[in-house]
Amino acid sequence: MTHNDASTTSVQRSAGTDNEPDFGPNTLLKVRNLSTRFFTDEGQVNAVESLDFEVKEGEVFGIVGESGSGKSVTGLSILDLIESPGRITDGEIWFRNRSLADEFNEQQSQAVRDEFVNLLELPESVHRSLRGNSFSMIFQDPMSSFDPTSTVGEQIAEAVEVQQRTSSNPRSARSRTQGYGFKSMVLGSILPSKSFVTEPSMERAIELLELVGIPDPKKRAQEYPHQFSGGMLQRAMIAQALAGEPDLLIADEPTTALDVTIQAQILSLLSDIQEERGMSVILITHNLGVVARVADRLGVMYAGEIAERGTLKEIFENHTHPYTAGLLGSIPEIDEAERLRPIPGNVPSLLDHEMGDRCYFADRCPKAMEECMEKPPEYEINDDHRVRCYLANREFDEDRSIRDHFDGEGGEPS
Amino acid sequence: MSLLKFTIKRTIHGIVVAWAALTIIFALRFISPVDIASALIPPDVPPTARESLIEDLGLDQPWYVQYLRYIGGVVQGDLGYSYVSRISVNQLAINRLPATLELAVAATLVSVVLSIPLGVISATNRHQVPDYLASFFALLGISTPNFWLGIMLVLLVSVMLGWFPTSGREFGFYEAMRLLILDGNRYGIIQWLYHITLPAITLGTYYVALLTRLTRSEMLDQLSEEYVRVLRAKGLPETLVTFKHVLRNSLIPVVTVLGLQFGSFINGAVVVEVVFRWPGMGEFLIRAIRTVDWPVIQGTLIIIAITWVTINFGVDILYTIIDPRVTLEGESE
Amino acid sequence: MISTRTIRNLKNELSRSFLAKLGLILVGGAIFVAVLAPLLAPHDPTQQMLQVRNQPPVFLGGTWEYPLGTDALGRDMLSRVIYGARTSLLVGVVASGFGALVGIGIGIISGYYRGWIDDVAMRSVDVSLAIPGLVLALTIFSIIGPIAINIPDPIVALGFAQEMPDSFTFPGTVAFVIGVIAVRQFARLARGEALSVREEEYVKSSEAAGASNIRVMFIHVLPNTMTPLLVFWTLRLAHAILTESTLSFLGFSGTTLSWGYDISAGRDYLGTAWWIASVPGVAILFAVIGVNLLGDWLRDALDPGLQEGYE
Ligand SMILES: Nc1ncnc2c1ncn2[C@@H]1O[C@H](COP(=O)(O)OP(=O)(O)O)[C@@H](O)[C@H]1O
Ligand code: SF4
Ligand SMILES: [Mg+2]
Repeated sequence: MTHNDASTTSVQRSAGTDNEPDFGPNTLLKVRNLSTRFFTDEGQVNAVESLDFEVKEGEVFGIVGESGSGKSVTGLSILDLIESPGRITDGEIWFRNRSLADEFNEQQSQAVRDEFVNLLELPESVHRSLRGNSFSMIFQDPMSSFDPTSTVGEQIAEAVEVQQRTSSNPRSARSRTQGYGFKSMVLGSILPSKSFVTEPSMERAIELLELVGIPDPKKRAQEYPHQFSGGMLQRAMIAQALAGEPDLLIADEPTTALDVTIQAQILSLLSDIQEERGMSVILITHNLGVVARVADRLGVMYAGEIAERGTLKEIFENHTHPYTAGLLGSIPEIDEAERLRPIPGNVPSLLDHEMGDRCYFADRCPKAMEECMEKPPEYEINDDHRVRCYLANREFDEDRSIRDHFDGEGGEPS
Repeated sequence: MSLLKFTIKRTIHGIVVAWAALTIIFALRFISPVDIASALIPPDVPPTARESLIEDLGLDQPWYVQYLRYIGGVVQGDLGYSYVSRISVNQLAINRLPATLELAVAATLVSVVLSIPLGVISATNRHQVPDYLASFFALLGISTPNFWLGIMLVLLVSVMLGWFPTSGREFGFYEAMRLLILDGNRYGIIQWLYHITLPAITLGTYYVALLTRLTRSEMLDQLSEEYVRVLRAKGLPETLVTFKHVLRNSLIPVVTVLGLQFGSFINGAVVVEVVFRWPGMGEFLIRAIRTVDWPVIQGTLIIIAITWVTINFGVDILYTIIDPRVTLEGESE
Repeated sequence: MISTRTIRNLKNELSRSFLAKLGLILVGGAIFVAVLAPLLAPHDPTQQMLQVRNQPPVFLGGTWEYPLGTDALGRDMLSRVIYGARTSLLVGVVASGFGALVGIGIGIISGYYRGWIDDVAMRSVDVSLAIPGLVLALTIFSIIGPIAINIPDPIVALGFAQEMPDSFTFPGTVAFVIGVIAVRQFARLARGEALSVREEEYVKSSEAAGASNIRVMFIHVLPNTMTPLLVFWTLRLAHAILTESTLSFLGFSGTTLSWGYDISAGRDYLGTAWWIASVPGVAILFAVIGVNLLGDWLRDALDPGLQEGYE
């Protein structure tokens, strides 16, 4: 089915590697065709499928979607934190890093374009050595994100320490564990140990705690995670993520586990720090109300893909995708205790053999039409706005509606 | 709760436990169908001598007199006299205790030194050859009767290879060290090591199996915790993630189990001491049970009960050191 | 109580896991041997033949007449190992069953009624735990003395096997003391389970609907505590088999037809006839491995909470 309207063009992006990446002047990260899969007993889960997006320097890019849409897996893939049974199976992650680009230009030229390196083609150890200093990540639940048996100060100081060692000797894995010998291994596993962390790192950790607005940081640094409140601990996690002065901070639902009043504080802290340092942030959330406050551009994720993307204004005022509309219809006010009102229907199964080759949203879409049984391409509505939905270039037509097919239990067309 | 208060509370608890255990044993003794006098005194002893012997042992007294006398002695630190050898139980215990303690410490060392690395290797190489091997040995370890393992070691290492002696204990650690330090003579310490090796390995093996399994499963649990991902996200090298954080957290339940397993440790020690004719409390207890030597049995039980309470006390204190979330506060009921 | 889903889980796990199959084979084999001992044993295990003392097993140059050799009194080792399976399994099942029945009863009543019943029961358990199991078993043993119960062997009585012992000696005291030490752990575990189950909605609602306490306990609490208790029972069964052999090794038994007894007898001949002490140990090892694997199977199939999952 090929309706084509003059006002929109369909952009075929999921092309192979022969397709050269083009970088804008202020691109920091460009993810292309990324697929991350989990090979479970139930089958192959396509958590992230042929994903493309770009993050510019100094911007906040929001990734929004229901739970299970692949947002966290996207963030973890960038840091190479996907664990068995998961694996990044395909794609490129281009990251601006001039020194790495110079270093690998010779030996691995296919992994280098201008100032960019493709993290997935660099040796794993190199990719991992960028954790903390090029990109870092904060997570949803601060309470479970700290080792309960070490002090908060020590854990932050550890981050400082490891970053200092990395910056003085970027490629040597050895320097990062130096001074942590067999004795420390044995003792450190039983007693609270101060080995590895040095005095200056501890001082820096206290500074960082102060920076994120923790009162009496010197004393709080000596305390254990369970002595902190959720909001304070989330601040501490932000401090820890800043230890290596990263270019990109990935914040995965940083406010979801917190009280509503605290949520707003954490968000403004994040946006202050982002502005002050000019760092880029990927803000992952299921709550459009949260991104509305801080994001510059948005990607709306569904079933491992970006369904609609654009500037904040375009998405809020000019959205095309019925899923985006559903999410917007269900925004609670951020200071309201009310939870997200869900879009009717089930979150899709990401099992490969159950996914089919149609619009993934079709079984829940109130405007699903006959053509939606074929997978829609991504349409460009304007420079600032793209969408993966046929409604980009046509109106909903009641006569071609296939809504009835999906009513009832299964969700599979009859 | 202050440490002092906690200590007092635990001491009282310990006394109550020891007293209750003792009282139950005492009561059972008097409803037992086994007649102590006829078990102790050979049938060919003439009646008059028999009478005076019974009187001597205090067995002619009603039960409450015997009980109060005994309790009175225990309160003053006197565990009574053996029915068989007529030697004071205190003296016997003092002679025997060091051997058991040495064995216990050596076996704990063997098991900790082997099991924790095995558990770590297993967990970090999950579902790979080293993991399967470790699991296989752990299964063998918990399924092998301790006494048989001891005998098989004797068969292979002592009888066939002649590397270690089959039984006995020539030197105590204390004497051996004295010889070494005062005379510079290494003979004692070498003999000590030579004799303790097989018993310690035998007693340690069961715990190697148990602790390897436990360390592995705790490590796997901890490795799936959210904080591990955060540690990696901040760039911490895997060595530090594993040892400084994951292992440390995994060892918390391991310490508990070491404490809780003290009972089976004593069980194991009894058996191992019998197999290797190791002159400790266990071998002593078995002999007392065979000869119905009640003062010795009771004395040993009191010592075991007190040790048990002490070890649990130690574990609780250790807990507050390794796990900052735990305070002695939580102990108050 | 045993739903079709349970059975399906058991089957799935069995078909998936090699070790579960091995466990089933080992335990099934041991039961088979124990039940049919008079038919399988080539000789009377108690018959002493002084002219064939310390014969080596066939793989060490012995004859097929005594495939696993003979002991120091000329008794056939194979027959003794076969009969030993009876003692081990019977004592194991009776002792752990006794421990489970009494312990679960005490535990559920404690956990369900709480109050002073709970206090008394749990304090007693705590106190008794200060005495290690084997030591307690030995002490109680010495108080009761050995009691051996002779059970006529139906296979021999019905004439299916000749020249075999016509009764089987069940070491009653041994089974009892092993059962007693198991009571403590069962009581603790069952109490914990009962405490958590009694807080569940359906238990509360049937109480609210006026069901009697006993009824609630047996209809709701007991079945819902079954899975962890069943898994624990297999552990205790393995433990009981090991303890039986240990007690008879130490000379506290009521029968001489026991693996532990033979090992202790063979100790003195390590230099000359090492198989006497070795062979019965292998039998214990196989039986206990089998029970442990069976326990792992039950745990993996019935208690998915104990399995490793994601998220
Ligand atoms: N460790 C894992 N094993 C198997 N599947 C996983 C794992 N982690 C995530 N997934 C799958 O990936 C999908 C996306 O998960 P996630 O990125 O966490 O969603 P979100 O963050 O958007 O809520 C989910 O459907 C989930 O089933
Ligand atoms: S492509 Fe069709 S089914 Fe999919 S979101 Fe658009 S209208 Fe709905
Ligand atoms: Mg998520």
